[in-house]
Amino acid sequence: MSDPSGAPILEATGLRSGYHGITVIKGIDLEVRNEVFAVLGANGAGKTTLLATLARLIPSMSGVLRFLGEDVTHTPAFETAARGIGYVPQEKGVFTDLTVAENLTIGGMIGDRAVDERMSEVFELFPDLAVLRNQVAGTLSGGESRMVACGRALMQDPTLLLLDEPTAGLSPLYVDMFFEKITEIHRTRGVGIILAEQNATKALQVADRVMVLSLGEAFLVEEAGNLTTEQLKEGYRI
Amino acid sequence: MNLNWLDAFLITGLFSVFMVIGLALLLHLQMGLARIANFGVVGFWGLGMYVYGVLYVQVDWPFDDPWRFLLSALAGVVAAGISGLLVGWLIADLDEDGVLLGTFGFATIVWILATTETALTKGALGLGGLQFPYRLGNAKQNEALWLLILIVVVALIMLYVWRVHRSPYGRLLVAVGGNEPLAQSLGKPAFRTKLGVFTVGAAGMGLLGVMYGVLERFLETSNLGVDLTLAAVVGLVVGGTARLWGPVVGVALTVGLFDIVIQSYIPLPKSWYGQAIPVLREMVFGAVLIGILLFRPLGILGDMRRDKLMRSMHGE
Repeated sequence: MSDPSGAPILEATGLRSGYHGITVIKGIDLEVRNEVFAVLGANGAGKTTLLATLARLIPSMSGVLRFLGEDVTHTPAFETAARGIGYVPQEKGVFTDLTVAENLTIGGMIGDRAVDERMSEVFELFPDLAVLRNQVAGTLSGGESRMVACGRALMQDPTLLLLDEPTAGLSPLYVDMFFEKITEIHRTRGVGIILAEQNATKALQVADRVMVLSLGEAFLVEEAGNLTTEQLKEGYRI
Repeated sequence: MNLNWLDAFLITGLFSVFMVIGLALLLHLQMGLARIANFGVVGFWGLGMYVYGVLYVQVDWPFDDPWRFLLSALAGVVAAGISGLLVGWLIADLDEDGVLLGTFGFATIVWILATTETALTKGALGLGGLQFPYRLGNAKQNEALWLLILIVVVALIMLYVWRVHRSPYGRLLVAVGGNEPLAQSLGKPAFRTKLGVFTVGAAGMGLLGVMYGVLERFLETSNLGVDLTLAAVVGLVVGGTARLWGPVVGVALTVGLFDIVIQSYIPLPKSWYGQAIPVLREMVFGAVLIGILLFRPLGILGDMRRDKLMRSMHGE
């Protein structure tokens, strides 16, 4: 399903962003096609800020952001979401007062396909959620919450999915399962994926291309198979 | 119809209870679902009441009731709704402290305007000349019918809130209140959603203010203190901010206790009703609020769905 030579889904040129006047992302150029694109980097490299900026949850200070060829630099987050950008945050990814099914339904409030149909597909991908469908999301474990967050983003029928460290803090069993699911989502549903990860080994197993982020700057962008340990260490500033 | 059992105290008490239930239900949408800490309930309520009162009394209408009443009342509701839109637009992006102070500040502005714009409102002297939009045999019959109309209005508010609870819009309010950035990332316009529920709530509060003005037929600025907001907030918190029946149970147990049980059924010296009971009421409300927040923060009804689930999970 990967098509790294196809038309870009998302393009960023000279993108800068941050919080309270402090620049965290310092001029990123990025082109993501229908592929799994991993954003690697150490703690504080700016991975979360970059993904939140791409999801338009943090306003960019300068630069241009295009989604499917259209300028979305100043488009509100809820509109870019409606156009096809799904976002799964690292933390606080579920509505804790709602049940699993209600969380998924919220994700399915945009788009034309029947909500039940989309929910069945999510339950096929994450069978555990079908069992937990009536459980309040605030009572779920970390791994279960991540499944809900991911499933809810898929309910939007996204063209591009932004996953912010989906396996951070999870048990090895869940980590393996999630990376398998990432590959499955991309292959079977044709969704482009930007995956922010600290776990470089796992991310490189599923990614087509990789950006190593270092102190808010793109240290390098490379085919996943061509990335060397030395490059990675330099990017992680080890 | 024999209305001997219904005296003036009981009519006022029942009216007060149902009105505060209505206010608490609207507050439940704002505070319980969308998590907008509106502490300016009396401001929207008072604006509706005074806009209605001033237009009804001060304008030289070319026609009489019911049109005179209907147009004045409509203006009161619209004014409260527009003020909700403006205040909501100003506070929608603030944190909880900012929202609380902003709404409280709005209520203070309404009180100051009602007190100082004496040419329109007669200030502290009070604005008289209001009438029921219909004429029955005597005052008690007029008041009893008006109480009945209020109960129907509150029942309609309850029906609306019940429908919201069961609709995708209700889930959207909970989502926006629970995690605004996440709701935005799912394609939900959080700002617009919050503004909508705040405006509708403010208009509803204005309508209840109009209805209170009609019952009293004399508008006093002393009604615009924090008491009413406190009553609605305490009722909501006691019952359970997130529960549909929370406002009903909470207001019945708090306002109902003072405005019906104590006022009508406990034989207390008449002199107490002027000062002692209202002061005691506020003190008890404050103490109950602290107690509930400390020992039962989800209210008496709480979030039963979650409580039940947690019990089943932990085998309690």
